[in-house]
Amino acid sequence: MFKELDPILHSQLRLAVVSLLIGVKEAEFTFIKEKTNATAGNLSVQIQKLKDVGYIEVEKQFKDNYPLTTCSITKKGVEAFEKYVKALQSYLDAGKK
Amino acid sequence: MEKEISAQQSLEIIEGMINKAKNKFSDNSFLYLLWGWVIFICSVGHFIMIKFSLFNNPEYIWAATWVAVIYQIIYLVKQGKKETVKTYTDEVINYLWVSFGISMFIITVILGRGNTWITLYPIILMMYGTPTFLSGVIMRFTPLKVGGICCWCLAIAATFTPSLYVLLLLALAVVTAWIIPGYLLKVKYKKDNV
Repeated sequence: MFKELDPILHSQLRLAVVSLLIGVKEAEFTFIKEKTNATAGNLSVQIQKLKDVGYIEVEKQFKDNYPLTTCSITKKGVEAFEKYVKALQSYLDAGKK
Repeated sequence: MEKEISAQQSLEIIEGMINKAKNKFSDNSFLYLLWGWVIFICSVGHFIMIKFSLFNNPEYIWAATWVAVIYQIIYLVKQGKKETVKTYTDEVINYLWVSFGISMFIITVILGRGNTWITLYPIILMMYGTPTFLSGVIMRFTPLKVGGICCWCLAIAATFTPSLYVLLLLALAVVTAWIIPGYLLKVKYKKDNV
C-alpha cells in the first residue's frame, strides 16, 4: 500500500523551496529565486501556498526602501518534509521490487 | 501551470537543493585578516618599542585593537545587509567568536586585578586556539584547525619563554592561525562562488 504523497510538497517549485529552506536558518526571496531559477511571479504564488498551509514563515520588511521578504521553514514544514521523504522512499522501494 | 513530477524527479530536486545550501559559508576571511594583521602589528610593534626603548608606554599600541573593534562592528552591519541567507553553521561560528570575545575581556579583567600579567600571554594564546580550531572543524577547513593547534603549542612554549619574546610568539600565532588561513579562505571562497 502506497503512502499518499503530500500534494503541497509534490510540486517541483514548492518542493525545491522547502528543500532549500530545510538546510538554512532563513533565506531572502532573492536567494530562493536565484537557487530555484524560478520567476518572481511563480515563486511568490508558491511561497504564499506554503505559507497558507503553515509549512513556512514569511516575514516582510523594508531594507533601504526596498521590500524584503525573508522565509524560514516551520516545525510543521519540517515534519511534512520528513513525512514526504518517507513516502517517497516507499514509492522508490516498491519500484525496485 | 504545475508540472507533474515523478518520485525520482522529486528525489533529484531535494538532493539538488540541499547541495546548493550545504557548505555555504559567508566570506569571513576579511575578519581573520583584519584581526591577524592588527595583532601582528601590535605585538611586533610592542616588541620593537621595548627592545629599543622607543617609548615610555609601549603598551599603548594595543589601543589599536579598539579601533579594530569599531571597524569590525561597522563592517558586520554592512555585511549583514548584503547577506541573502542565514545558515545554522554561520550562526554557530558567529556565536563561537562572540563567546571568545567575551571570555577574552573577562580574562583581561581577572588577570588585570590580580596583577598576574606574566601569565596573560600564554592564556591569550591558548584562548586563540579554541575558536580557531573549532571554526576549522565546523567549516571542515584544515588550515584553521592547524592554526588552532599551533596556538596551543605556542601557549606551552610561551610559559618557557622570557616575557619580551612572548610578543613574537603572539605574532607567530596570528600568522599561523588567522593570516595564512585568512588568505586561503579568501581564495577558497572565490573558487567556490565562481
